[in-house]
Amino acid sequence: MNLKLLLRRMFLVDLLKGLWVTFRSQHPRNIYTEQYPKDRPLVAERYRGAPRLNNNPETGETLCIACNLCALACPEQLIVVGWEREEGTRRKVLTTFTYDLSRCMFCGLCEDACPTDALELTQDFELASYSREGAIWDRHMLEQGPTPTRYTR
Amino acid sequence: MNYFIQFLHSDLALRIGLIVLIVAVMPLLAGYIVLLERKILADMQVRLGPMRVGPHGLLQPIADALKLLIKEDIIPDTADKWVFWFAPAISVTTALSAFAFVPFSHRAYVVDVNVGILFLLAISSVGILGIVLGGWASNSHYPLLGALRSAAQLVSYEVAMGMAVVSGLLLAGTLSMREIVRVQQEQHIWFFACSPIAFFLYLVASVAETNRAPFDLPEAESELVAGFHTEYSGFRWALYFLAEYTSILVVSSIAVTLFLGGWLAPFPNVSWLKFLQIIPPEVWFLVKVFIILYAFIWYRGTFPRYRFDQLMRLGWRFMIPLGIVNIIGVGTAIVLAQQYRWSLARALLLCNVGVFLIAVFLAAVGQRRERILG
Repeated sequence: MNLKLLLRRMFLVDLLKGLWVTFRSQHPRNIYTEQYPKDRPLVAERYRGAPRLNNNPETGETLCIACNLCALACPEQLIVVGWEREEGTRRKVLTTFTYDLSRCMFCGLCEDACPTDALELTQDFELASYSREGAIWDRHMLEQGPTPTRYTR
Repeated sequence: MNYFIQFLHSDLALRIGLIVLIVAVMPLLAGYIVLLERKILADMQVRLGPMRVGPHGLLQPIADALKLLIKEDIIPDTADKWVFWFAPAISVTTALSAFAFVPFSHRAYVVDVNVGILFLLAISSVGILGIVLGGWASNSHYPLLGALRSAAQLVSYEVAMGMAVVSGLLLAGTLSMREIVRVQQEQHIWFFACSPIAFFLYLVASVAETNRAPFDLPEAESELVAGFHTEYSGFRWALYFLAEYTSILVVSSIAVTLFLGGWLAPFPNVSWLKFLQIIPPEVWFLVKVFIILYAFIWYRGTFPRYRFDQLMRLGWRFMIPLGIVNIIGVGTAIVLAQQYRWSLARALLLCNVGVFLIAVFLAAVGQRRERILG
């Protein structure tokens, strides 16, 4: 007969240990819940979320040179870059930019491919939309970024 | 007018007022106990619990009650309509009427019957009838299984509970709830110190009696959807909830009255603790009830659910024999004290040690059987 085990059982040692564990964990310091709509969570720096087309902060013009490298890099082929040649200089000028978020896996290859750091995956994570079409972002949306409702309470 | 003022000062007015207070406040209190439970469980599980309705979710019970009141009330097509309708009412009325026999203090009680505790035990086990009927009347598998489990559980744990209560009653020598507390006041000791084993048995059995974790098999969410109240919705479901939480309060009140000195302040004969008696006795009673309630919630946050055969084994192989032995032990102690002029403390110590050794023996036998049977 295992006397130690028996006495352990009689004095409810294991049960009391369990009770102590749950009692101890009641300290408010331990609480890990984020009050999401009220307090916005801090996203990790390397998190890859909503894509954004950056503008030159000084001139306000787009940094995109319509080189199409992002579209070529994309494994899902969800980026479509539209451009036209500028009269005279024969420079490529960006006209449209479509990014189908519904197929995006946020691998970040487009971001890496971009020579001018125009396309960037940001820390914004609120990408829900009411329709499938809503997940296809045009140039305006990409430059502006998502605008989720901010709740005050 | 004169008669009216006389009436207001009379004993009857106090009683009627208390009845109205109990019936009016209990639903609200049950709602807030639910909130308390959710909050405490959340704390134990490193969460926040309800936070959105009111500051720190304080208005959550009211929102829940409103939701339940206006929710669609579904009666299954094949259900036994009258029984289905009546079952929650049985649970609620028995749970609420049990409070008539609970003395909140030496002055605040509805009735003081000379068989009070017997009546309380009887009426609180009738509450299970509501559960059994509800499960039966739903005409559905899971509720029926829940009801069956509830009935089996009641039969096995009611006995153990009765044994524990009898041990306490041997010490008190009376069945009246008020007298029990008065005896504890006179002997300057609460009965849980006289017979800790009886107190332990009562606590475990009362958890099983109120269908709470770890003995919540009748409503085991992971096995039976929601157990006996699977088919219930809206207000009738709310009634079941009210009954459950009220009966928790009832069993804790019995525990407090019988084992924890009812409304008495702790250590009434220690002079430097006299200041504790400034707090009114009703508050002491409620504080003790809520300590037991907290323990119930604490168990729920800690212990995993028993399997049904484990539940039955614990009940029949351990709790009931130990209850019988404990009655014999406490009885022997009282005989030793009264007939042979032992001091009660020495007799009780001896007998409790004896009972404990027998409990070790019972557990050892159980352990051996478990090892043989696997």
